[in-house]
Amino acid sequence: MIEIYRALFVGQIQAASQYRVQSVLWMLFSVIRPVIFLAAWVAVANAQGGQVGSYDVRDFAAYYVALSLVSNLATSWNAYDFEFEIRMGRLSPKLLRPLHPIHYAVVENIVWKMTTIIPMLIVLGFVAATFDARFRSTPAHLALFVPSVVLGASLAFLAGWVVATTAFWTTRVHAVSTLWDRAAFIFAGQIAPLALLPGALQTIALVLPFGYMLGVPAEILQGAVDVPTAMVLIVVQAVWVGIFYALLQVVWRVGVRQYTGVGA
Amino acid sequence: MTEPIIEVQGLRKTFRVTERQEGLAATLRSFVRRHRRDVNAVAGITFRIEAGEVVGFLGPNGAGKTTTLKMLSGLLYPTAGEAHVLGFVPWRRENAYLQQMTLLMGNRTQLVWDIPAADSFRVLQEIYRVPEHSFRKTLGELTDLLELQELVHKPVRNLSLGERMKVEFAAGLIQSPRVAFLDEPTIGLDISMQVRIRGFVAEYNRRTGATILLTSHYMDDVVALCRRVIVIHHGQLLYDGPLADLAERMAPYKIITATLRDGAAATADLAAYGTVTARDEGRVTLKVERQIAPERAARLVNELGDNLADISVEDPPIEEVIDRVFSEERVGAAT
Amino acid sequence: MRYLRLLAIFFRTELAYELEYRTNLALELLQMVVIITTSVGAVLVLFNYTTVLNGWDLGAMLVLLGCFYLVQGFGELVLQPSFEKFMEHVRLGTLDFVLLKPASAQFLVTLRHFQVVQLAQMGLGAVVVIAGLPRVSTLGPAEAAGFAVALVCGFTLIYALLLALSTFAFWFVRIDNLMAIYWSFLDAGRFPVDIYPGWLRVTLSTAVPVGVAVTVPALAISGRLDVAGLGLLVVGTVAAFFLASWFWRLGLRSYTGASA
Repeated sequence: MIEIYRALFVGQIQAASQYRVQSVLWMLFSVIRPVIFLAAWVAVANAQGGQVGSYDVRDFAAYYVALSLVSNLATSWNAYDFEFEIRMGRLSPKLLRPLHPIHYAVVENIVWKMTTIIPMLIVLGFVAATFDARFRSTPAHLALFVPSVVLGASLAFLAGWVVATTAFWTTRVHAVSTLWDRAAFIFAGQIAPLALLPGALQTIALVLPFGYMLGVPAEILQGAVDVPTAMVLIVVQAVWVGIFYALLQVVWRVGVRQYTGVGA
Repeated sequence: MTEPIIEVQGLRKTFRVTERQEGLAATLRSFVRRHRRDVNAVAGITFRIEAGEVVGFLGPNGAGKTTTLKMLSGLLYPTAGEAHVLGFVPWRRENAYLQQMTLLMGNRTQLVWDIPAADSFRVLQEIYRVPEHSFRKTLGELTDLLELQELVHKPVRNLSLGERMKVEFAAGLIQSPRVAFLDEPTIGLDISMQVRIRGFVAEYNRRTGATILLTSHYMDDVVALCRRVIVIHHGQLLYDGPLADLAERMAPYKIITATLRDGAAATADLAAYGTVTARDEGRVTLKVERQIAPERAARLVNELGDNLADISVEDPPIEEVIDRVFSEERVGAAT
Repeated sequence: MRYLRLLAIFFRTELAYELEYRTNLALELLQMVVIITTSVGAVLVLFNYTTVLNGWDLGAMLVLLGCFYLVQGFGELVLQPSFEKFMEHVRLGTLDFVLLKPASAQFLVTLRHFQVVQLAQMGLGAVVVIAGLPRVSTLGPAEAAGFAVALVCGFTLIYALLLALSTFAFWFVRIDNLMAIYWSFLDAGRFPVDIYPGWLRVTLSTAVPVGVAVTVPALAISGRLDVAGLGLLVVGTVAAFFLASWFWRLGLRSYTGASA
């Protein structure tokens, strides 16, 4: 398995080096949305004398910088790729190979993140400076951030695959993933830190998996939650990863049977 | 009849090619200093075509055929030289000119993939401002000639390559052009479809009197359609004249095919009469210099007598002539 | 007149095509409703903590968000499909066919294809505008006229931006990255341009005038735009349009080898 992964990595790194400029550009553009909401919250805070709930202007800046970083590390486009491959009939040859297609996606994602992380940090440094971000995190937070972001990324990745496997049953994955993305838009911590979602929305967000992909790691990195709470959140993240792992196993097996049964 | 439809004088097109290496560093370096090289795609050619002619435009890949067609249709500005088509300078792209010409490319489609061709025809009608009655008449004729009835109401993506090409022809001719440039119109089609497209072009030319300049890789197209051919190579005009004379001018030999009776086939040695190029059972093919070919054929008849069942003297196949011209030219260019 | 007829026939052809796929149409509509509802939701979350955001109250914010979907919907109705097709034409060499038509190439390229379903996005945008309107001010004929002018300017600014960006295809063929500039900055239009920090605000008002295209119509309809501001917008829009058209012709000339 390690050998296989090494081979996949070499291949992907070569492929990625061809798209270096493109990757960096896309990464830059991906920062724009968090900045939009950061600017909106800064405006709200200024209207309220600088403070909204437990967040002041500089906390918002830290939160959205952290969120950008987490988004970059946790986002994957595999749902779109996968649907495309099924539609174009390109999946069959991949199913014949002795390796689960998910491994290609894993490597592709890791390589993409490696190629963009340095420019990402530079850009985020710039954003943090512009908005005068203040992180409240202690070394313990930083230590907890590592497992949290890994779990968040894994969760987003697995969930993305579960959504993508709907392509086995319907050609309209686009609609499914739009619904999924919009749920994430509201509940993952993009429009507001989870703590600022009003009443019912916050309760829903804590029950749904979305917040554990992006919002939770971002809050831990920013230091918005205390260490014991962070540890609890990480445990919940792990539970969600387990659930989606099991779900993917089932959905994938049934889906492949369905797909090959149709004879495509 | 005195005014030619197409008149080309010293037409030249030079492309400036930027050479760039792969990779980011090389790309950045090329921003600063570009390595440029001039390529003469068309190196000054002159010809004229009269109304109603169907002319074959021949040459190997990269000879400058498509570049010339693009200049004549107005898509490219020449580096030097003049051209008039229907009295217009093509690259000014005046609407009055575009209205009367068409360019069809066998490997490219102008139809919208997802909608039926009939809808695209309507759009083209509006773009070319074809009055309703002439639109109906033209489309009716094209539908008959090309047997389109079934095809125009299906989305284009559901058509086979050959069907698509037929519809493509109809789309290109909806404005009843007086000049048509056909760039490889039969490329990739199977033989029977090639034959039908050829038949269509000939019939269209006969009915409408449209002037047609055609390039093709398939010599059969040219043989079937064109009495006149223009041959270019490395951007230069090599030959312009009747197809029938091409072999005489370009290939200094003829092909004698002698069919021998049983018995004689095994023993007869015909090497004395010319170069034996093929031997199949009793059929022997000989390559003989053009001037002495009649004399050699007479000798064959005399000397083989009853052993000879049949004999023919022909020009070499046109493909061979063309191949020969292009490969010799390459040798000539190298020296 | 002739060009209006052409537009109508382009539109009809694509409408016929889209109507064939009713399920797709229904799903598209569903997605739009979800997207717009969640966006309104996001605004409501913000206004849960404040009554005014940089001088924009909830009503004005809804008007602005509606304008955002009007502008974005216009882009997706005709510009995005047409410009995508244009890039494909350049890549496949089929642009030649367009250039050989006896009509303005710029028109045939930039307004040729429609995604008719996006009319619904514009419709939903209008609904959001109307929802916000009663809270803002009384809508007189002056505001309505100013809004109409500003909105047309907004559409034109987006047109000019996309035209200028896609002109690069004449030189570079693959310009997906450049077009992504539009898509990523467009999102910033959902909030008033004045909330952004300097560098972003300047970008959104000049080089990528998405912010202006959305914010100014919203100001106009809520009666907060004076004649001078409107005049400035009109002048800027006309200048942007001609600049972009000039750049396009430059690109076209280089494509046909007329220059260089």
